[in-house]
Amino acid sequence: MKTYIKTSKNFCIAILAMAAIGILGGCKKDFLDRKPQGAYTSDTYPYPKGSGPFDGEIFAAYDILRSYDCSGSGFIAATGIRSDDADKGSTPTDGPTSLEMDNFTITPSNVLVNDLWRGYFNVIGKCNIVLDKVTKDQDPGTPAESKVYAEAEAKFLRGYSYFMLVRLFGRVPLIDKLYDDPVAQSNVKQSEPAAIYTLIESDLQFAGASLPPSWDASKFPGRATKGSANGILAKVYLTRQNWGMAMSTANLVMTSGNYDLLIPYDDIFKETGENSKESVFELQATASLTEKRANGSQFASIQAVRGTGIWNLGWGFNIPNTRLEAAYETPNDPRKARTFLYAGGTSVFGEAVPASLPNTRYNHKIHSNPATRNAILDNFSYWMNIRILRYADVVLMYAEAANELGGTANTTAALKALNDVRKRARGSNAGILPDITTTDQTQLRSAIRQERRIELAMEHDRFFDLVRWGTASEAFQQAGKAFVPGKHELLPIPAAQIEISKNVLTQNFGYN
Amino acid sequence: MKRIFTKFSVFTFLCLLFMNAASAQNITVKGVITDGADKLPLPGVGVLVKGTTTGTTTDASGSYALSAPANATLVFTYIGYTTKEIPINNQTTINVQMGESSQDLEGVVVVGYGTQRKRDLTGAITQVKGDDIAKMPNTNPLSSLQGKVAGLTVVNSGSPGAAPTVRIRGVNSTNSSSPLYVVDGVHQSNIDYINPADIENIEVLRDPSSLAIFGLQAGNGVIVVTTKRAAKGETRVSLQSSAGVQKVVNTIGVTNAAQFRTLYDTYLAASGAGQMDYRNYTADTDWQKEILRSAFLSNNSLTISNSGEKTSTLINLGYNTQEGVLKFGRFQRYIARVNEDVKITDNIKVGADITGSHWNLNGSSGDLNNAIWAAPIVGVRESETAYYAMPNFQRAQVGNPVARIYQNDGNSINKGYRVVGSLFGEVNFLKDFKWRSQIYTDLGFNNSRGYTGLPFTVINLGEGAAPTEYFNNPNARTSVRQASDEYRKFQQDHTLTYEKTLNEDHKVTAVAGFTSIFESTTSLSGDRTDIGLNIPNDPSFWYLGVSDKSNPSNVTGGGREVSSMGYFARVNYSFLEKYLVNATYRRDGISRLAPQNRWGNFGGVGLGWVISEESFFKDIKGIDFLKLRGAWGTVGNGQGIADYIYLPGLSTSNSGVFGDNIYPGVAPAYIPDPNLKWEVVRGTDLGLDIRALNNRLSGEINLYDKTTKDIITQITLLSSSGNTSYRTNLGTITNRGVEVSLGWNDKIGSDFTYNISPNFSYNKNKVESIGNNINFVLFGNGVNNRTVTGESIGHFYGFRQVGIYQSTADLDKLPRMSTSLPGDIAYEDVNKDGVITDADKVNLGSPFPTWNYGLNVNLGYKGFDLLLQGQGVAGNYVYTQRRTAQFTDVNYEINRINAWTGPGTSNIEPTLVRRGNNYLMSTYYLEPGDYFRLRTVQMGYTFKPEALQKAGVKNLRLYVSGQNIHTWSKTTGYSPEVPISNILGGGADNGVYPLPAVYTFGINVTF
Repeated sequence: MKTYIKTSKNFCIAILAMAAIGILGGCKKDFLDRKPQGAYTSDTYPYPKGSGPFDGEIFAAYDILRSYDCSGSGFIAATGIRSDDADKGSTPTDGPTSLEMDNFTITPSNVLVNDLWRGYFNVIGKCNIVLDKVTKDQDPGTPAESKVYAEAEAKFLRGYSYFMLVRLFGRVPLIDKLYDDPVAQSNVKQSEPAAIYTLIESDLQFAGASLPPSWDASKFPGRATKGSANGILAKVYLTRQNWGMAMSTANLVMTSGNYDLLIPYDDIFKETGENSKESVFELQATASLTEKRANGSQFASIQAVRGTGIWNLGWGFNIPNTRLEAAYETPNDPRKARTFLYAGGTSVFGEAVPASLPNTRYNHKIHSNPATRNAILDNFSYWMNIRILRYADVVLMYAEAANELGGTANTTAALKALNDVRKRARGSNAGILPDITTTDQTQLRSAIRQERRIELAMEHDRFFDLVRWGTASEAFQQAGKAFVPGKHELLPIPAAQIEISKNVLTQNFGYN
Repeated sequence: MKRIFTKFSVFTFLCLLFMNAASAQNITVKGVITDGADKLPLPGVGVLVKGTTTGTTTDASGSYALSAPANATLVFTYIGYTTKEIPINNQTTINVQMGESSQDLEGVVVVGYGTQRKRDLTGAITQVKGDDIAKMPNTNPLSSLQGKVAGLTVVNSGSPGAAPTVRIRGVNSTNSSSPLYVVDGVHQSNIDYINPADIENIEVLRDPSSLAIFGLQAGNGVIVVTTKRAAKGETRVSLQSSAGVQKVVNTIGVTNAAQFRTLYDTYLAASGAGQMDYRNYTADTDWQKEILRSAFLSNNSLTISNSGEKTSTLINLGYNTQEGVLKFGRFQRYIARVNEDVKITDNIKVGADITGSHWNLNGSSGDLNNAIWAAPIVGVRESETAYYAMPNFQRAQVGNPVARIYQNDGNSINKGYRVVGSLFGEVNFLKDFKWRSQIYTDLGFNNSRGYTGLPFTVINLGEGAAPTEYFNNPNARTSVRQASDEYRKFQQDHTLTYEKTLNEDHKVTAVAGFTSIFESTTSLSGDRTDIGLNIPNDPSFWYLGVSDKSNPSNVTGGGREVSSMGYFARVNYSFLEKYLVNATYRRDGISRLAPQNRWGNFGGVGLGWVISEESFFKDIKGIDFLKLRGAWGTVGNGQGIADYIYLPGLSTSNSGVFGDNIYPGVAPAYIPDPNLKWEVVRGTDLGLDIRALNNRLSGEINLYDKTTKDIITQITLLSSSGNTSYRTNLGTITNRGVEVSLGWNDKIGSDFTYNISPNFSYNKNKVESIGNNINFVLFGNGVNNRTVTGESIGHFYGFRQVGIYQSTADLDKLPRMSTSLPGDIAYEDVNKDGVITDADKVNLGSPFPTWNYGLNVNLGYKGFDLLLQGQGVAGNYVYTQRRTAQFTDVNYEINRINAWTGPGTSNIEPTLVRRGNNYLMSTYYLEPGDYFRLRTVQMGYTFKPEALQKAGVKNLRLYVSGQNIHTWSKTTGYSPEVPISNILGGGADNGVYPLPAVYTFGINVTF
């Protein structure tokens, strides 16, 4: 009995103690209510006042477009080095993955194709986030215009990214929304190019109809406009050989009054030529003493002169080759000097280029102004914008579509457009680049194709042009490259992506 | 617990008392009792004439004297030490060394919010004595655990001040597999601030039933560290000091200048490129030799302790310094600890403990791969400020390895300060109850400043006839940077313990308690480049304020807050010392999860059966103790959850650029799963403890089966939302294994003692599912490591090499890739479809060892002692990623001398031509990771106490020690211990820091 009493007394104390513990815990009910520190969630982000409440998400997509994945070695190799007008450059043994592109020895494990795949899908994902947000936005305070602009801008960037993907890879997964169940969307099968093009056309049509013709020039130079969307859409139609729509869509750009061919060819590619009236869609990059690279792009430095000392401007990839050199109808075509930067020559800014460099030719169009380099104290020109679509390109697309449609009126229009481009190229030198006068469709076709090659040399379209003209096989045979028709028009689907998908993605023809 | 044990011993003596009484001529016997390990005198040791009540205890100097029959036997007993019986046999002096060892069953083991006798344990807990840690010349005590505990994987690094990677029983999770450290009660993620010489014991808790009391913190196991307390009843001053030198024993074989030229010429010819003109490149530089050095190392610890009736005090001062073998790294650490316990009354005790530490790190800017890759044909420098650039073929990618070291030497000042303190109060009441409250804090401040000076002159030797150029970059400007971060932790623990023995048969210990932890950090850093002035290379100017604010600067800052709390209870019950039951419960919550998912219940049950206590066992000779135990438990892995990922986090690192305007861009950082919860680790343990042949043989065997469920899997949503990820609970991983520890402790004659204790463990890891029913795979380190359902976590994934295509005939005959050429690696056509495609990639083995083993041998002869320790792993592979550099032409590793150059030249080494096919992940780049390392050879001499007494010295030991003297391994890198801290992409040797051999001389002296 005594033991019992004692034990129960002990128990009482124990219970009291437990109660005390409970109080210690209980009074701290919010002890576990903590928040992330110094970081926003989408619920706490104080969206800035800009042109619309969706700008933040849209700008993230622009960020990816100028990043290494979309504008770095992969982009340069696939659009430039892979063409018949450029060689790999750099030093003989540097950049074997780019060499694989140049020589058509590319394999699915090539890292550059993975960069491109990842990059453009990253943009598409960012666009889908914007579109999702626009759809779900219930705020009566959101201006209707900003919703339309946001949707249009996201669709433009998505359409452009899919246009790149479909030309690079052919069949790719078609993802046009955010899925409710994230797991379900982790692995989506590829769609046929026709289905991808349907999405591209509808995206760009919406963007072309809804984007503003221009943005506040002091705040948003280079932001995608109605003209950008119609310009890219014209190229989509051209690629699809929908000549009528290509011509009329290019014409929308040409009659918009926002563009002309007045800026001299030499100036287009300078820092001072950025966002000129020549610029239809241009990826924006900038640098300052404080941020030399974070807001820029590696695009120019990957190609810039690979010298020593103050001529160590970059890696020297993507050099114009002797085939391109020979393609000019006259060596005096001023565009040649603006396309080729020769070792031992003089740059457009008057610099004497050293004679002993790993290569004798470099891409002159991405060469930066030494004054900018000295001001920013950086030789790797991360501030150089990337001219994705120039007005001259649109004019030549118009000419090409018009000529393909045929008929007197169209031929006249084609000749006019073609000669407008030649006129600017000729500059004050009346003795060269005479107007084209032929009305023969075949002759005019080759004249327009020749003009595209020269006017837009080293500007990301040569390979795609050869493929859509059906002349790739012939051109690469002449260039002595092991191009296999039916295979090398497309890049391999990246091995890493097939692995991640556990073979839901399937390889392109000839790469297995 | 100790109190009960004392009672138990008294009871034993009483039993002995009533047995029989011998009678003979009495003589006076005296002697000194010392600790077998540190040779210090032991006060308070019980000395009893066997079978009588006659007895005494040793005094403060460990001496005793008593009168006993000349043919009687003396019994020496001391808590925590093995009881010894020595027949007198007419000797008048009997000096005894008491053995204290981890095999001792009566030893007390810390089990989390309490202690338990080793013999009563039902889970897998291994104790490592502080002395075994203090002996090693490591600045981080965890490094010294390597090879000592079965089931514990430790990967050491030779980098000064670096903490080793620690894994307990394999890899549990795809997210976090690092154990929790509990240092005198405070929860830590590292123990960098502990002086290795100031540790009393380390316990490694491995099974879920033992871990359950720690709830959400314990998913990856717990390592409990107990620091030293003042020894009872005396004042002691002891100094432990060692100093030595570290040397890199094996460098990576690369070609010298002549060999390089031969290979490079062959390569250029085979690639169809023009030959290199070497006229300006005539040097023969061993770049590894240029960046490595013999480095100094020293560890020092001074302890002053005093213990009286009411108070006990311990003061410890430590100083460690370690230079890096890679020029010019250096780590220094100063530690001071004060511990004070005050007994206010017999029932009330309070105490405080405070540790202050300060470290100082001079990081090295040396890059080991840089030295492997740099061409040997280039010289180092012309003067101290003018260094040669590499030839054009690698100039843009590979810098001068020595220039970068000298350029940045001394350019950064990194200091850390940390204070860890605790206060406790303990009240014993109502005889059987004890209330203990303890509060802890851990405050850290790290501070760094640095400088970027003007670069050295670069000398371009030029290609062929090109002239030598001297270049000073006109764009370079000096800049300074500063960073500081602050870290705080507050923890409180309150426990009520009930301890009772009923009718001598039923022993109950129950504990209930509450704990909470709050942690936060803040950080601030910035840099400023001076456009106009050259900031001098003098640390007194290295502050942002030195340059005018019109100069470009970047500043950033951040912070973090997390908290957790839990309630817990545990009951230990033993009946007749024979049947043991432990039951644990914990309810735990963490702030990282959504409120509705925050709390969870965890628990465990352990059962033990001491078979040797059974009556039927009395007849079995040779076995002194045999216990069978089994345990089951469930714990959580709260560490695997990144902070607050249930909330829709935003990535704000993107920017929209228009013209020169820069606008912030935002994108979801991931797709949040609001229902995210912790990973759950469940496990079953079966164990057997045995002591046999008069306690000379000890053994412990554990079998475990552990499952982690609800793995937080990161699913990359490539095609839908642009590389963002979705983290959700999908996946199950199992780890099953065996752990065996053995010990043999004996002596030959009276002077020669020896102890051999081997241990090994085997762990089989399997990913039972990942992503559950969706088609899913996780890759790490590019796609070199794969985690997929049905195979071990993070295994290497690639092709198996079967040879080299010798000729075009081989290409026609053998399965190949469309791009294969003669000289390329021929891979195995696993799926037998006649071509080599990605479908032929297979599991090539794990970066994580399946076997871990260790062998410790202690020999003692009179004053001499010899310690041998070896440790090894087996079953894993190392990926020689450093050899896959194909961004440009780099120096060749020596194996490339045998590269294929034509039919029949090699069936292993591919062509020198850099072709993508030969850089794919394959067995060609894997080396068996098995190694056995002679970890320690230590020879010491302890002076006889008598010889030292005059000088007032109680104990003096001198020793020489060698660490990592030899490693048996097939790997070609500096160390087979390559990093495995990246769970999904571990095991790559991509510039692993050398683990040097260390030769030290040391002294331990006690006054």
